[in-house]
Amino acid sequence: MVQEVLRLQNLQKSFGSVRALKSASFTLNEGEVVALLGDNGAGKSTLIKAISGVFPIDRGDIYVRGQKVSIRSTRDAMDLGIETIHQDTSLAPDLSIARNLFLGREPVNLKWLGVFAPLDLAKLRDAASALLKRVGISKKLDADALVSTLSGGERQSIAISRAMQFAAKVIILDEPTNNLGVEETHGVLRFVKEVRDAGHSVLLITHNIHHVFQVADRIIVMRRGEIVAEQTVADTDLLTVESIITGADMSALLKEARAK
Amino acid sequence: MPVGKRRSSLIRSPQFSSLVILIVLLAVFAIADANFLSPLNISNMMAFLPELGIIALGMTLLLTAGEFDLSVGAVFGLAPVVVMLLVQNGGVDIGVALLAGLLLCIAIGAINGLIVTKIGISSFLVTLSMLLVVRGAALYITQGFPLKSWDQPGFFVTLLAGSFNIGSFRFYTSLWWFVGLSLLAVYVLRYAKLGNWISAIGSNRNAAVARGVPADAVKIWLFILTSVLAGLAGMISAFRISAASPVAGTGYELEVIAMVVVGGTALTGGRGTILGTIVGALMLRAIRNGIVLIGVPGLAYNIFVGVIILAMLILHALLQKNAARS
Ligand SMILES: Nc1ncnc2c1ncn2[C@@H]1O[C@H](COP(=O)(O)OP(=O)(O)OP(=O)(O)O)[C@@H](O)[C@H]1O
Ligand SMILES: [Mg+2]
Repeated sequence: MVQEVLRLQNLQKSFGSVRALKSASFTLNEGEVVALLGDNGAGKSTLIKAISGVFPIDRGDIYVRGQKVSIRSTRDAMDLGIETIHQDTSLAPDLSIARNLFLGREPVNLKWLGVFAPLDLAKLRDAASALLKRVGISKKLDADALVSTLSGGERQSIAISRAMQFAAKVIILDEPTNNLGVEETHGVLRFVKEVRDAGHSVLLITHNIHHVFQVADRIIVMRRGEIVAEQTVADTDLLTVESIITGADMSALLKEARAK
Repeated sequence: MPVGKRRSSLIRSPQFSSLVILIVLLAVFAIADANFLSPLNISNMMAFLPELGIIALGMTLLLTAGEFDLSVGAVFGLAPVVVMLLVQNGGVDIGVALLAGLLLCIAIGAINGLIVTKIGISSFLVTLSMLLVVRGAALYITQGFPLKSWDQPGFFVTLLAGSFNIGSFRFYTSLWWFVGLSLLAVYVLRYAKLGNWISAIGSNRNAAVARGVPADAVKIWLFILTSVLAGLAGMISAFRISAASPVAGTGYELEVIAMVVVGGTALTGGRGTILGTIVGALMLRAIRNGIVLIGVPGLAYNIFVGVIILAMLILHALLQKNAARS
């Protein structure tokens, strides 16, 4: 039986007069990779930022495992098992790789000291090294190296390994293969399959339709703040999806005309 | 990291180059004037050092988080004025008066922090306005005159500005405050969870927030801390010279920021070093003291201080470029 992990109902979000998200509803099941597609400005990043608590939604409901939840902060989302890798890189360049990997969830000694607790530096470094080895997306990276000295692709790998580390229920990737070389791109796609096989759910945003057909189970297409199509990968093909995204598809055009 | 690599990164670090320059400067002054290293002169330098140094510690943390505070000099002036007025004219117990001063500093810092984070106005503008408000308040409540001199020794005076002799050196207890607070600041910035957050916030605020770091709360507390340290430094200074003046601390904000950036902390946030700040504080103190001794005319001091600060900043920028390339 398919187990529902995340369900969105009528999510709405405006920035002043810009209605970035008019109404979005969909369901993400356990062990499923859903690709979220759409042209620039369609509202994809806005949707996932709402789910990951970057900003509050205006209206709508979010359910995690059937339970209605309110996500008011990024911490709320993380505690619910939702890890997000944002498009606008989510690392602090002046910190080391190890410190970035554990940012917000630092291993500490003397926990009762709260924010003044000393970092467990040995554990931090060891866990970071182990993680980098496990991901294997990139060659040898020193856990003590500053993120500012890394390439864009290497940074992306670090962000992805971090989501992996915390074994979230839902992993959201906003254009993770942007700026990546061939090898790194394959690493990311392999990672997506791996976490799916481990039972996690993945919401993948990308402009590369080929990647979608390599890893996704289902496709959701957004246009101008709305979800305009939802299909299983097995039931569709590349050209159809492409035409839905651009809006050139006749049936979509008709539907739009009728709506007006 | 292999030892060799760690050593070379230490040598290339900004606080290390600042330290080298400090040593060179000390040597130059010592050779130019034998009195520079005399017990009396060293004691003098050490008396002034903690007052600006303590503020610089708070400023370093604040700058590392990507904000700064121009109102510290004014708070340095207002806090002792309020405390001493309460005691001298209001008949309030000194302990209670100090508590009131502390609350005042907390309030000033909290207002700075809340406006910067919640309304989103740059800290430059907010704290510049606060500087005027605070300095204006100090001038108004004193009608512009220094208070009558402080003649009540006691526990708090000894605690903040007592002095003791080691051989022919005379030290003030404020030096212990500076040493203790420095150690605390080094610990927090380098080894505590909070330090990781502070650097991350200054380096990429969105990234930190996305990881659940309470960026606004951290910044507000750092504004409060900086204000409280400025007030503490003001009290130390006032007790040491047994007087409070509404214009005390004028221009200190820039001197403190200079100490911090000369030490290698980035004005743009993300990279802060307490050790660098201590070196920076020592350096500015030594420069101000040294150029008097070697006979630079009084009105020319600031030319020298400015040129040396510029030279330091250029050096840091060049080192930074080099490090990025290698
Ligand atoms: N913080 C914001 N303030 C105002 N408008 C915003 C904000 N964030 C997004 N928008 C607007 O909302 C719309 C949707 O943006 P969004 O970033 O969600 O697009 P996207 O689908 O992720 O596009 P891309 O593929 O280019 O990343 C755009 O018109 C954008 O200009
Ligand atoms: Mg986007």
